[in-house]
Amino acid sequence: MMKIPFGLKYISISTRISILLGVVILVTMGAFSTISLIRQQHDSVDALNRSTLLLGQTTEKILRLSMIKNKRDDISAAIRDIVGSEGIRSVRILNHEGIIKFSSRRSELEQHISRANRLCANCHTGGDTGAVHTVSRFYSHHLDERNGIVYSSLPIYNSPSCYNSDCHITASAEARSNNGRPAAAQIVHHVHSSSETILGFIEIEVSAKRIMANLARTRSQLIILTIVIAVAASAITYFSIRYLVGKPVRRLVDGMRRVAQGDFSREIPSGRAELGFLADSFNQMQRQLLSTQSQLIESEKLASVGKLADGIANEISNPLTGIIIYTESLIAKSKLGDSERAECDIILREAMKTRESVRNILSLTRKDKPEFRTVDIVPTVRHAITVVEKLPDFRNIRITTSMQRDLPHVSIDPGMMEQVFLNLLMIFSENMPEGGILNISSLLVEKDRKIEIRFADAGKTIPENLLQAIAEQIEYRDSEKIGRTEISLSVCKDILALHRGKIRAGAGAEAEASIIVELAV
Amino acid sequence: MPRTIRVLVIDGEEIILKSMSRALRSEGDVDYMVATANTALEGLRQVRSSIFDIVFVDYALPGMNSREVVRRIRNTSPSASVVLMSGFSSATAFPNEAAGNADGFLSKPFTTGEITSLISRILTQRSGNKA
Repeated sequence: MMKIPFGLKYISISTRISILLGVVILVTMGAFSTISLIRQQHDSVDALNRSTLLLGQTTEKILRLSMIKNKRDDISAAIRDIVGSEGIRSVRILNHEGIIKFSSRRSELEQHISRANRLCANCHTGGDTGAVHTVSRFYSHHLDERNGIVYSSLPIYNSPSCYNSDCHITASAEARSNNGRPAAAQIVHHVHSSSETILGFIEIEVSAKRIMANLARTRSQLIILTIVIAVAASAITYFSIRYLVGKPVRRLVDGMRRVAQGDFSREIPSGRAELGFLADSFNQMQRQLLSTQSQLIESEKLASVGKLADGIANEISNPLTGIIIYTESLIAKSKLGDSERAECDIILREAMKTRESVRNILSLTRKDKPEFRTVDIVPTVRHAITVVEKLPDFRNIRITTSMQRDLPHVSIDPGMMEQVFLNLLMIFSENMPEGGILNISSLLVEKDRKIEIRFADAGKTIPENLLQAIAEQIEYRDSEKIGRTEISLSVCKDILALHRGKIRAGAGAEAEASIIVELAV
Repeated sequence: MPRTIRVLVIDGEEIILKSMSRALRSEGDVDYMVATANTALEGLRQVRSSIFDIVFVDYALPGMNSREVVRRIRNTSPSASVVLMSGFSSATAFPNEAAGNADGFLSKPFTTGEITSLISRILTQRSGNKA
């Protein structure tokens, strides 16, 4: 399990994103739903108001004639009929003094409504003593959300038909005729003067419960829908991320953990998406790590072998020095018989071979950097010749040199390069048991800016397969030679690779077998 | 080059001391006087008491760092040339580094010819410098 810092509880990325998405959806849809509901409520109430206003206007037109003619019973009957319609709770008519003259609720009749009342306060801003503030807001409506009622009121405007009506008058009861028409001689008092603007109000109470219930239902549906969408989207997101992201990421984490524990055996399934590319990169890194680890193990082995070999070489070097020098001393004695001399030659030859073998093995195990110096190559070649020319193996080999003068200096490690030349000389001596002429020449190839050092055997004794291997730059294998030539050649190639040089088989005179060392100038 | 060359060999290995004595004794045209010491202190004592043209010092002498030995020889006998010897690849791979303040380096195992040619080269070089 992954370690979580600071004691935090582990929450997967799929859970985090799902929760975040759910919250975003809830907030977004909640805000959207709220705005929609407010708008819908506003529109519904507005529509209700308009229809109530229309109803009020229609009622006023219907009742106008009855009012002009003061047919109070007709008005009351009409109001009751209207209230019987669905949703209409009450209708009442007030005069301009705030007295309820007609109402579907009989108990209200002749009650006075204060100017502080909502109905009057629209225009009379100062309460009971206030004057009319404005006539532009005479039509009003009010929603009582708690009880689900819309109160709409509209004014009954004065008109000539009202204040000029000959029947809508105030007269003494005595003067009134039986049929209700005033006698011409009577004193007539019109109820309304022409200066009055508003004669009264019609107020209608309409139930908004159905609308409010619809709105509440819509709100509930929206809340449920929002929650369902948020939960569904979160769930889909959770499982999608878990499958598409979480699973590959878990594989990567497991892979990382395995690699951290040193297990490079399993690769992660790759894909075509970003995480697939990441898995590819991980697998590539794992392969690279495996390769590097193998190289490290190999290097460590080599280093261990190198240290061991170094100690052994030093231990061998002291007695070997004794063998070489004492044998040389014996050979130098003139009174030595031929057979003894031959035996001493064998001892010295084998001792020298042992010396070169030890040096070659050390060169193979050593991975030190060369110490480059820009020098003339010729003294290095000549010194290698000096080292070997007195050896028994070279007794029958005549070494001739043909060095070009004023060769440009090259950047080499002289010690390493001398080892190359010594190895090549030893390869030739091994393959020239009958002796012969070994010509060593050097020349500048101006065109390619390189120096060539050519070792040519006029007797063409070098095995064809060795030349072929050198020409093709492949490893040389010769089971009969117990690998000496192979090791020598391998050391030459390694050293030349460090010097950006190379070794190749020559294509010189037909009678010659040659090996050429190339060094860049 | 002097007709008699005085050589001191300091090495912990008896076979090296004997081999070098034998190698230089048998070289006919130049006379060598070879002295040997199997410890650094014995070698330094001889350097203080005698004059040598060239001193061979083993790179891995027990008891004293070879560079310190070279430094003390230089202080005691500035005219003597000093050559370091070693069979360790870490030294033979970088002879110039290994030689340090010595005049030359000899990789073990070596031949008589390598010893004499090195002595010849160093002493010729030294006489050239003096001239």
